[in-house]
Amino acid sequence: MISVTHLSKKYGKFAAVDDLSFEVEDGEVLGFLGPNGAGKTTTMRMITGFLPASGGRVRIGGFDLYTDPVPAKQRLGYLPENPPLYPEMTVRRYLRFVAELKDVPAGKTKSAVGLAIERARLGEVADKRISKLSKGFRQRVGLAQAIVHEPPLLVLDEPTSSLDPKQRFEVRELIAELKGKHTVVLSTHILPEVSEVADRVVIINRGRIMAVDTPSRLSERLRGAESVRLELAAAGVAGDVLRAQVTEALRQMAGVSAVDVDLADGGTVHARVQSEVGVDLRAEAAAVVVGRGWRLLALSAEALSLEDIFLKLTSDEHQEGA
Amino acid sequence: MRHALAIARREIESYFVSPIAYAVLTIFTFVSGLFFSNMLVYYIRQSALADSMVQKYGYSDYQLDVPTVVLAQFFQNEAFMLMLAVPLLTMGLITDERRKGTLELLVTSPVRGGEIVAGKFLGAFGFLCLMMLPILPMFAFMGQGGAWEPGVIASGMMGLLLLGGAQIALGLFISSLCENVLVSAIGTYGVLITMQFIDTTTSSTQSYWITILGYFSFYMRQVNSTRGVVSLTDLAYFASYITLGLFLAQRSVEAIRFKRT
Repeated sequence: MISVTHLSKKYGKFAAVDDLSFEVEDGEVLGFLGPNGAGKTTTMRMITGFLPASGGRVRIGGFDLYTDPVPAKQRLGYLPENPPLYPEMTVRRYLRFVAELKDVPAGKTKSAVGLAIERARLGEVADKRISKLSKGFRQRVGLAQAIVHEPPLLVLDEPTSSLDPKQRFEVRELIAELKGKHTVVLSTHILPEVSEVADRVVIINRGRIMAVDTPSRLSERLRGAESVRLELAAAGVAGDVLRAQVTEALRQMAGVSAVDVDLADGGTVHARVQSEVGVDLRAEAAAVVVGRGWRLLALSAEALSLEDIFLKLTSDEHQEGA
Repeated sequence: MRHALAIARREIESYFVSPIAYAVLTIFTFVSGLFFSNMLVYYIRQSALADSMVQKYGYSDYQLDVPTVVLAQFFQNEAFMLMLAVPLLTMGLITDERRKGTLELLVTSPVRGGEIVAGKFLGAFGFLCLMMLPILPMFAFMGQGGAWEPGVIASGMMGLLLLGGAQIALGLFISSLCENVLVSAIGTYGVLITMQFIDTTTSSTQSYWITILGYFSFYMRQVNSTRGVVSLTDLAYFASYITLGLFLAQRSVEAIRFKRT
């Protein structure tokens, strides 16, 4: 649906976006992840034709965005970081205006606007002025604006930033509904958003791509360590003694890289065992605990969250640069 | 064309919810009426004086054709009023779109830069035409007095609209350069006042350059139309101003995107 090749944006010597290439298949949701200032908004603006690129190409549905902008832009719905709203207009009038700009045929404007209002759940405020709406509703008007002409490609730049948690949840739900009907490129610095809706994730930092993969494979591939959490108790053993015993017992397992044991209230002990890459210690740790005659209360494996990966990738880069 | 009309319509609608546009409309109508009635009364008195002189002495220094004199004066005053009103109408045309971030919507839509600029121009020009409507009853009022100069009225109105169009086109260009509406308004005042009065420098001294400079003056062109003169050169003059303003504005809208925002 959209293919981006060697895209870059330079301001003097500073490269805000540096040689970015990626492709998004029809119906796919691509998450664009990066810290603030990584070049996300610049990239979104370039792939929507708002900012001209210093180099590289963008093709939307086979049309080059720079040499053939009209058909390319007809296939595009875009929600910028700040929704582009005219506060003095009513929601319905505003959407009609956008439909006219986006070449919705004159006879279909009314139904397209009605459908967008329905899909963005704006029915109750459709005839209110935009200036009277809350931030959450405005963001939904922004979404309705992006989908009013049923574009095959949707580009959403940080659609949930600056919303409160409830509004964020609602907007995220709407985005999940768009999945399947549109190809979506979604930029964000909020991680759960990406792992929830994206099929693939691009992580960028300082204008360069750090990683591209599915959220699950990304966490698998980049898993530096796995850990097992244990909760256990033993009758008739003093806390400190038990702690020392547990630490020693767990350390003896093969493939352990670190053991961390804490005393909790009521005589239970919490332990965290880190293992080397690819070693699963869950079964063995359980056997050790039971073998010693302690009571195993809980056991769970911990994988690295996308958040850890994100931090790892972006801070590695930071060290490299320093 | 559909895009330009959609943009123009939205612009006119937004004028009608803007307190600035209402204030401009109200004050323009009120002051126009004031000028008109004052001048009408003044020249009727002068004319009566001239008549009584003729009766007394058999001749008079005054030869007054009241409708023609009043209309010429009135249209010149209106041109001055337009110069004050237009910057308030054009200051936000592009500036507001930049400030609100809606330029991002326009530019990422399948709309060309020329269509954006044409739509904005038509929107402001449409409002200007509406502003002229309350003037028309004044002429009817003058017609009640017996004298009626439809030819002068038509050419005078056309002159005002052409002048207004040229002013709007320049204001639109300046608006595309500014990120702040106040700066946009002040800049437009500067340019329009210069264009209006550039001819006063031509009359005091004689020089080749000053004559050339005088060709750019709004006043020298518009003043013909207030006397009922319609000339092709005047039409071409104002049409070139409008074309130039729109062309510069279109280039400027395209260039805004190259700036770092």
